[in-house]
Amino acid sequence: MNSSATTSVSQLLRDAGFFSDLDDADLAKVAGIAAVEDRAAGEVIFKEGGRNNNLYFVIAGAAALEMHVPRRGTTRILTVGPGQLLAWSALLGDATMTATAVSQQDLQMVAIPADDLKTLCDSDHDIGYSVMQQTAKSLSRRLLATRLQLLDLFTETDSTKYDG
Amino acid sequence: MNRVANCNRSDPWLAHTVRIDRVTPEIPGVATYDLIFEGDAGGLSFQPGQFNMLYLPGVGECAISISGDPADGSRLPHTIRVAGNVTQELARLPVGATIGLRGPFGSHWPVEECAGKDVILVAGGIGLPPLRPVIYRLLAGRAQYGRLSLLYGSRTPDTLLYTDQFDEWRSRGLDIEVTVDRTNDGWNGHVGVVTLLLERLAVPRPENTLLFTCGPEVMMWYVLQTARSRGLPAENFWMSLERNMNCAIGLCGHCQFGPEFICKDGPVLRFDRIAPFLKVEQL
Amino acid sequence: MDFLPSDELDSLIATLRRDGYRVVAPTIDQEAIVYDEIESADDLPRGWTDRQEAAHYRLERRGDDAYFGYVVGPHSWKRFLFPPQAIMATADRTGDGWEFQTPRPDDVRFAFLGVRACEIAAIEVQDRTFLHGPYVDPIYAQRRKNALLIAVNCTQAASTCFCTSMNTGPRCHSGFDLALTEIAGGFTVEVGSDAGRKLLDRLTTTAADQTQQDAAAAARQQAVDEVARNKGMDTTDIRDLLLGNLEHARWDDVASRCLSCTNCTMVCPTCFCASVDEVTDLREEHVERRRQWDSCFNVDFSYMNGGVIRNDTRSRYRQWLTHKLASWHDQFGVSGCVGCGRCITWCPVGIDLRDEVAAIRGS
Repeated sequence: MNSSATTSVSQLLRDAGFFSDLDDADLAKVAGIAAVEDRAAGEVIFKEGGRNNNLYFVIAGAAALEMHVPRRGTTRILTVGPGQLLAWSALLGDATMTATAVSQQDLQMVAIPADDLKTLCDSDHDIGYSVMQQTAKSLSRRLLATRLQLLDLFTETDSTKYDG
Repeated sequence: MNRVANCNRSDPWLAHTVRIDRVTPEIPGVATYDLIFEGDAGGLSFQPGQFNMLYLPGVGECAISISGDPADGSRLPHTIRVAGNVTQELARLPVGATIGLRGPFGSHWPVEECAGKDVILVAGGIGLPPLRPVIYRLLAGRAQYGRLSLLYGSRTPDTLLYTDQFDEWRSRGLDIEVTVDRTNDGWNGHVGVVTLLLERLAVPRPENTLLFTCGPEVMMWYVLQTARSRGLPAENFWMSLERNMNCAIGLCGHCQFGPEFICKDGPVLRFDRIAPFLKVEQL
Repeated sequence: MDFLPSDELDSLIATLRRDGYRVVAPTIDQEAIVYDEIESADDLPRGWTDRQEAAHYRLERRGDDAYFGYVVGPHSWKRFLFPPQAIMATADRTGDGWEFQTPRPDDVRFAFLGVRACEIAAIEVQDRTFLHGPYVDPIYAQRRKNALLIAVNCTQAASTCFCTSMNTGPRCHSGFDLALTEIAGGFTVEVGSDAGRKLLDRLTTTAADQTQQDAAAAARQQAVDEVARNKGMDTTDIRDLLLGNLEHARWDDVASRCLSCTNCTMVCPTCFCASVDEVTDLREEHVERRRQWDSCFNVDFSYMNGGVIRNDTRSRYRQWLTHKLASWHDQFGVSGCVGCGRCITWCPVGIDLRDEVAAIRGS
């Protein structure tokens, strides 16, 4: 990738809030192995159970995550937007996707091949630490959000005797 | 509005007579009751966030937020979810039935502090009705305020309230984003908890942004944590709490939350005032 | 200062009754000294005293025939100003709806005879709750306005008294119409109001001579000396101490003893928790909204939306004590506790809030 394209990828990542702890030089190394991807609404980015080797950083737009349960059908479980990650299993798992991702609106993402990112992280541990921190923080926010969904806070409780 | 039927300080147990003028079913188990005053009592002068005690003789009272336009106190919509004895009986009453009303009670959303600022309203489920009066007041004076956003989360798409008003509100300058916790086929909108909407909302001037939130306490807590992470100072958050109401006038003791009487110091409270008590279990 | 001979006590009571007052005073019932309406001085517990400790109350004969030789019992004056049951409003069916009314408070006039300093303080604490907030209780307002307070300076203390820790006694300084100090043969009398002066002028009194004044001072001093020997309560920064220790281990400890029986709240002269419920006639045409004393120790007191918030004894005891000693300051600008010791005496398992506060402070 030429240097001006790298700069614009760096800027997109910075503006979306990713890698705030990396200096410009290190961020440029990450941007150097990344590419901007645009998807129109309704495009499938990856399928549940399928293999996908890219880690995606959402810059603009939204993607819906869906999971399929036999007899119940396909259920949308989460909408992912700017500042969030898609396909973390590519980096942390075995690249088998745990959900299907479909773009909701026109979607802009920065895609990074997971193998290239792992190689970069192995060779430069400062970058590796930052990438892992970034991923961990993203996942911990996702976990809290999932727990809040699980708590089903809006369910009406059954009331028996008293006023209210 | 000629005469105002607000609760008398020295005679706070006297209920006014109101009639159910219209019942609007909203979502399963939830309906909006428009109440009007009998005779020439006029109406109620109320602030956004306040509530009334609706009285069904022989059954009891329930505390319900006023969810209408404060500029028109002669028609008082109350969006009510059937939960206990009183609301179950209320749900059986026909249009034209008479009930009692005491109020308005409680503290209010400080719309007067919003002039020149950006305002974020975050509502969860049945937490939108107590915020609707704020929307009416903000939009009535739209030019006085900066960005206005409503972030609204509900359990499922078919439990979203007031959706028929969203287009009008958007056209008058309220940005609205909606999300649901879980969905079924046919929903093409956002899925996930409402905190995610707040994580991604543009907040260009956090110091000058006020946030009002109403919904389950756990939801409000995480909304406020997210708002902190976006740079809003704790003095800029206001939340509406609920407790067992019996007298609504600060004299029966039921509604206490730490040192606060939710009926008179609340229900709308500034976060930093109650922050030490929010995470104490069984307080 | 005046001196009222003992045999004039009956005249005092009779005069008040003729004036239309219901005279409420200490009297013995069910082996305790309670407050009830009396007809003459014969109804007073003359020659009796009380022995009180945590979870212990007994009456004993005195060696003398003092009229007021005891301290406080299970009743407080709140049961007259803030009655245990009262109708707050009514609803009557009309042709097509309901008519709502609030009853005019009855015009009962109470004369309280034998009010202790801690009890004057307690009434003044309840004034803040019922009269000085955004809403006024109409029944309390009427009864309080009409009430005449004839105070009695304590001449002894029970082991459970700690008025000095709460700055409420043992001496009556203000808030009374008359204040009596019992000595041999009668009472020295201090006048606290015009109504008190006018009442006293209708009785046969003399000017209290030096001997009588000295005897009264000595009698009052005995109370001071006795309460000084008692366990007290250190109230330094108590609001922050308790509200800053809501997860202290002591709450678990007291919860293992507390029965959540509500005795303490019933006997406490400042507790005001109540509930209003519906009482209907058989045809559901006339409904009364009846207020009854309630207690934060009752399980359903904090019920809301399908669940109870304070669902164990630990959280309910914590609510009571932190409200009484800490939150009350935020809400009313004073402590809710006047140091009368009733909650200690009448707790069946003898929980002593002086110990509980000390335990939280001590660690």
